[in-house]
Amino acid sequence: MHSRYGPYGGAFVPETLVPALQELEGTWRTARRDPKFRAELARYSRSLGGRPTPLYRAERLSRRAGGAEIWLKREDLVHGGAHKFNNALGQGLLARRMGKPRLIAETGAGQHGVATAMVGAALGLRTEIYMGEVDMERQRPNVLRMRLLGAEVHPVSTGQRTLKDAINAALRDWIAHVRTTHYLLGSAVGPHPFPAIVADFQSVIGNEILREARRRWGRPPDLAVACVGGGSNAIGTFRPLLRTKTELLGVEAGGPRGHPTGAASLARGRPGILHGTYSYVLQDRDGEIRDTASISAGLDYAGVGPEHAFLKDSGRARYVAVHDDEALRAFRWLAEDEGILPALEPSHAIFAAVREARRRPASQRIVVTLSGRGDKDLEVVGRAIRI
Amino acid sequence: MRSGSDGGSRAPGRALVAYYMVDRARIGRYVPLARAARRVGATHLELGFPFSDPIADGPILQEAADRALRHGTHWADLLSAIRETRSILPTIVMSYANPLWTRGLERSLADLRDAGASGLIVPDLSLEEAGPWRLAADRARLDLVLLASPGSRLARIRALARASRGFLYLVSRYGTTGGGAISRPSDLAPLVRTAHAAAPGLPVYIGFGIRDRASAASALASGADGVIVASALEHALARAPSTATIARVLRPIASAVRAVGV
Repeated sequence: MHSRYGPYGGAFVPETLVPALQELEGTWRTARRDPKFRAELARYSRSLGGRPTPLYRAERLSRRAGGAEIWLKREDLVHGGAHKFNNALGQGLLARRMGKPRLIAETGAGQHGVATAMVGAALGLRTEIYMGEVDMERQRPNVLRMRLLGAEVHPVSTGQRTLKDAINAALRDWIAHVRTTHYLLGSAVGPHPFPAIVADFQSVIGNEILREARRRWGRPPDLAVACVGGGSNAIGTFRPLLRTKTELLGVEAGGPRGHPTGAASLARGRPGILHGTYSYVLQDRDGEIRDTASISAGLDYAGVGPEHAFLKDSGRARYVAVHDDEALRAFRWLAEDEGILPALEPSHAIFAAVREARRRPASQRIVVTLSGRGDKDLEVVGRAIRI
Repeated sequence: MRSGSDGGSRAPGRALVAYYMVDRARIGRYVPLARAARRVGATHLELGFPFSDPIADGPILQEAADRALRHGTHWADLLSAIRETRSILPTIVMSYANPLWTRGLERSLADLRDAGASGLIVPDLSLEEAGPWRLAADRARLDLVLLASPGSRLARIRALARASRGFLYLVSRYGTTGGGAISRPSDLAPLVRTAHAAAPGLPVYIGFGIRDRASAASALASGADGVIVASALEHALARAPSTATIARVLRPIASAVRAVGV
């Protein structure tokens, strides 16, 4: 819970936001030690969110890989269909505690926007979501869901019209309305204390994995795999496993073949400052942020959470990039082998997990965080594979 | 314009800082632009380096930055613009943190100083992160100007004023650059007074939303030592890029600045 992870992190923000970040940090530090706050968080997580989520043994997928056993951490079963609820709920409760009546959020794939809209409705907080026009087009079902849940969706038409531009728009709104508004940032990115808060609320994923693994096998998994855009489901998976011997593998979006960077900030970026944090960034020689590309709106981001930058440099976690076509193949494997339609984001992780399983003996166990379900992606996938 | 060194910023009279976005399409034209600004009463120039993700900026400066990047504006263009303007008016650079950091802080700041810049404004640099930047700026003999906001507590204003060099940039209101009404003089005055008391001799300039005589007069009524005009100037220049445009935008603001006197 420091503001830095090695050299990474910090809070590079206009002065106007500093008092709000300080208030947020103070509220969170008090709340997380407050038994009443924890009880409320646990109650909503269970009875609104559907936690805990199970580990599922993907037998037929494991057979396809031929090697280690693959298990799925079923975050796709969380209310709203993705892990995003864990953080939206936690921060929503913090906003209420701070007496801020309005929530704003950015969204890429729309899952964080949906989660924020659900939490806003449940807690009685006005909710407005910023979403790039390109993402609104490719994730239409989620736009409709947000609107039905009572949120206002603002299309963002600047820049590349994707996640990065939605974050810019949300930050500008926050600068103007910071006294009455909580910016419910959806990934483990942004200025301190956001990366720490998001990782804290998402750590429920890794904690549950560890608990169930110990119960079933008497020990932690051999390998944990999660997709990384900003990196919230991955840091939530990894953090509780840091003190174990579990290998950690983060999977970024390699984008279409032939694209110079995809959206793989850790694999192909350099350290830089974007959206208030110092981390790996896809940028040109002048420090201008580069355009990214990925079939998955949720991974299509030029930066990454600062804790991942630190885990990469320290060697505690490895990061690889998976291309669009590989993620699509993994999407179909999971659908046909296990009867699960995954979101395109964790499809990247599934592909990498299958590749890892092939190289490992049957005695090893791999846990993949299935961070969301694929209903939102049916149109994109259908178009890509021409069904 | 290092405070205490040449003292150019606090006297005589109040300051009027005119902002231009650096744009490759304008290289070679900064001399007439700077002269036009000086002619109507500008005391400093602020040259903005375009950034792809300018979170403190409203639509006008966002579009100006996008345009400049589309024109292929690079670091070298910033340095040539500084070289054009430095002998006409003291020139301060505005850049977001990443372009400076990525090039290497020492190297960026040395580049700016060698080109003839006197100061540097980094809108996304918080006091908490400013430590290494202040050291590097001191070594490069460049004034690192910090920003304060109406939301800053008085203790924080004091710390910002003591750490800032050249002047303290007081943001006029909650919001991004451009449009919108600025805070009332009675709300800004305690902030200005606190900064003056904490750092005697360090002027306080107000920016964001200064666009005409009334907004400039209102900002100066808080006791501030100057105003900064950016979006209003860029907006007008984007439509009619001429020295007459500069005169039209700056003259009423300059008259408000002169009316306050020394």
